[in-house]
Amino acid sequence: MLMTAPAAGFLLLFHYVPTLGNFIAFKDYNPFLGDGPIEAMLLSDWVGFGNFQLLFEDPLFWDAVWNTLSITAFQIVFYFPLPIALAILLHSVISSRLRGLIQGVIYLPHFFSWVLVITFFLMMLGGDGLFSHALRDIGLTAPNIMTNPDTFIALVTAEAVWKDAGWGTIIFLAALSAIDPTLYEAAAADGASRWRRLWHITLPGIRPVIVLLLILRLGEALSVGFEQFYLQRDAVGAGAAEVVDTFVYWQGIVTQNYGFGAAAGLFKGVIGLLLIYTANRLAHRFGEQGVWSR
Amino acid sequence: MKRRNLLGLAGLSALAMAGCTSTPTNSGSSTNVNKLDAILPKYQPVDLVKPDIVVPPPAAPGFLSYPSTLVDAITTKPGKGGAPIKVTTLNWGTTPPGLGKNKYLDAINAELGVNMDFAINDGNTYSDKLTAILSARDVTDVLVVPSWNTNIPRFPEAVGTLFEDLTEFLKGDAVLKYPMLASFPKGAWQHCVWGGKLSAVPFVSDNPFAWGLFYRKDIFDAAKLAPPKTAEELYQLGKALTKSDAGQWAFGDITDYVQMIFKVPGSEGGWRVEGGKVVNKIETPEFMAALEFTAKLFKENMVHPDLVGDPNAGADQLFKSGKIAIWQNGLGGWQNTYRDQLKVNPNFKMLPMPVFAHDGSKPLVWGADEPIFYTFIKKGLGKERTEEILGCLNWCAAPFGTKEWELRQYGAEGVHFTRGPDRVPVTNDTYNNEYGNQYTFMSGRPAAITGGSDTPNFVQDYTTWTRGAVEHIEANPWAGIKFEEPTKLAQLNKPTQDKIKDVVRGRRPLSEWKSIVEDWKKNGGDEGREFYAKALNA
Repeated sequence: MLMTAPAAGFLLLFHYVPTLGNFIAFKDYNPFLGDGPIEAMLLSDWVGFGNFQLLFEDPLFWDAVWNTLSITAFQIVFYFPLPIALAILLHSVISSRLRGLIQGVIYLPHFFSWVLVITFFLMMLGGDGLFSHALRDIGLTAPNIMTNPDTFIALVTAEAVWKDAGWGTIIFLAALSAIDPTLYEAAAADGASRWRRLWHITLPGIRPVIVLLLILRLGEALSVGFEQFYLQRDAVGAGAAEVVDTFVYWQGIVTQNYGFGAAAGLFKGVIGLLLIYTANRLAHRFGEQGVWSR
Repeated sequence: MKRRNLLGLAGLSALAMAGCTSTPTNSGSSTNVNKLDAILPKYQPVDLVKPDIVVPPPAAPGFLSYPSTLVDAITTKPGKGGAPIKVTTLNWGTTPPGLGKNKYLDAINAELGVNMDFAINDGNTYSDKLTAILSARDVTDVLVVPSWNTNIPRFPEAVGTLFEDLTEFLKGDAVLKYPMLASFPKGAWQHCVWGGKLSAVPFVSDNPFAWGLFYRKDIFDAAKLAPPKTAEELYQLGKALTKSDAGQWAFGDITDYVQMIFKVPGSEGGWRVEGGKVVNKIETPEFMAALEFTAKLFKENMVHPDLVGDPNAGADQLFKSGKIAIWQNGLGGWQNTYRDQLKVNPNFKMLPMPVFAHDGSKPLVWGADEPIFYTFIKKGLGKERTEEILGCLNWCAAPFGTKEWELRQYGAEGVHFTRGPDRVPVTNDTYNNEYGNQYTFMSGRPAAITGGSDTPNFVQDYTTWTRGAVEHIEANPWAGIKFEEPTKLAQLNKPTQDKIKDVVRGRRPLSEWKSIVEDWKKNGGDEGREFYAKALNA
């Protein structure tokens, strides 16, 4: 109990207390009223659902929602399975020194900031980058990788894979090591091939973890990150790079229109909650435990 | 907490249920600064050195020779040696080391008698952070804000809430306690008034121009090219200078300057009066032509690909290294870029192109009539501390010809510079590493264009350019009016900029422009027009 106190305190201070501030979504929040931010919150005028009305009437907001959902869907197909595959591969490496080395290398990019990751991609794949110059040297035209809005979704996913796929293996590796090795021995003794063992032992063994993470990911369907899109917005235009979080930033924070921004944030939270709930119900129907049990 | 507020909280759900909905509005405000004479400081010039080159104002005069003796203008230390004064400022370029690791700061803090501790922000993204700094009320003792960031919604309220009213400290004869500040012209002080109170110290503009279009004279000379006189010639230059196989491109992002070439209006962010009607730039045929031209530059890959991605991605480095040959930048950055690169490449030479119009007719030059920065002092520091800070600002405002000016501009002799044959300081690497306009941006000083052997011919080149440009400055119909944009117009800025970029980068066809303008009118553009029309008639 005592051991959880710091974590609980952290949750309370940085998650639950700020959540209360959501009520400014129903206000015309003016940060400069009264003696401090709290008083400003209380003194601002109530506008009911006015902010939501403006939000839902704004076509740019729906563009941002659509972009965000597209990116989430794309990444669930092309990003989500990769850490699982990588973890299974790593798990099969016998030499612990080699495994440690590989883990170190693939974890590392997680600790780079997005600015570095994008600069790195620009230097490799940009119009004045290594790849383009190599192509020009052999007489080919360089493709437009960093500034093409049509392929932007693949670019951001590739960046995310490079940065975080390795880091994502940690949980799966833990789940893999929890599988009883005698199952493999028995299966091998019965003549099951490598693929059969993967299909009948490994994957079912880590299925609860996969489902759990998938549900949690769905709950964040409307969050795909901020910096990555903020930094590449000019390169491909708002049409491709505007996501809900950057929309809130430009239209809510930069213009000091906090009530409006809070309304968008609250909307995002409610949708996330609904998605988690629905996904969990589905998981239960398929006999999985999900995030919480029935 | 007042009872009314508690009731308000409890009423939240009831209100929501009742569907009692109104949409929030902030319709902006404007203040005519010409009516505020009573609270302005007295003007008392400090004349120390006579300029060698006088250019018609508002362009700054040039000084060709360095005074043989410098005046010690401020003999008593303004600081009281207490806790460090925390300052938030901005800079374009690398951030210098902070207090305790920076001999430039040490040298000046010793003169001031108090430590100034700087938090330096990236000038390109400062506006994005500023709104958060202000609304969190998390301001340091001194805050520097560029004038182009002061029209954000609710800025006047922020000033009233967060910053000290300096009227009693500075109005009339009170300013004579700070003689350097008293040498600022009235026009600069006028802009420092918010809500009827003198709220800031201005940075007197030393260059009333929005942009210069810089070119690499050395590269032009080697290729036997001359600066253009028409848009077509500029385009031909783009063709001649782009050799992507060799890693060379003609242009940085010159979207704004091209608009100037096509005589797009630039007042208050792009408004003009046309036959009694207020018109925004995006509605004009000039703007359309500028878009078409810029789109062509991008389409034919004449703009460096890194800058296509991010217009701020180290354009100065690309220009210095010759990867781009033409670049738009404020004139304020000219001398530093020139000085830095001359040390690396003795042939390096950069000049702004003489102003020209697309068809060779009389050019139009966007002006910048406001002070460049405003320096605010946090509210509630107390009379003594506020006076101490004003004293420090007074020190920073010492003009050309004083010891203080030299120390602020070049650092300490022997540490940051050595004296050249013409007595003008020649700076070294320590200076380059440690100087970041810290004290320079804190308060302005009477404008003076100066230079020495480390930037040969700079003063002549500068004044030659300004003399050619100053007569073409666009008259601003709203001169002397301060604006706070209506929220709706402010919210419209980003989507409109995004669409302009889309067209320029070829992501949207130019044929869509008409419908983009219609959207703009519908979503707040027409309201903006009324807002600016009303200010004009007030």
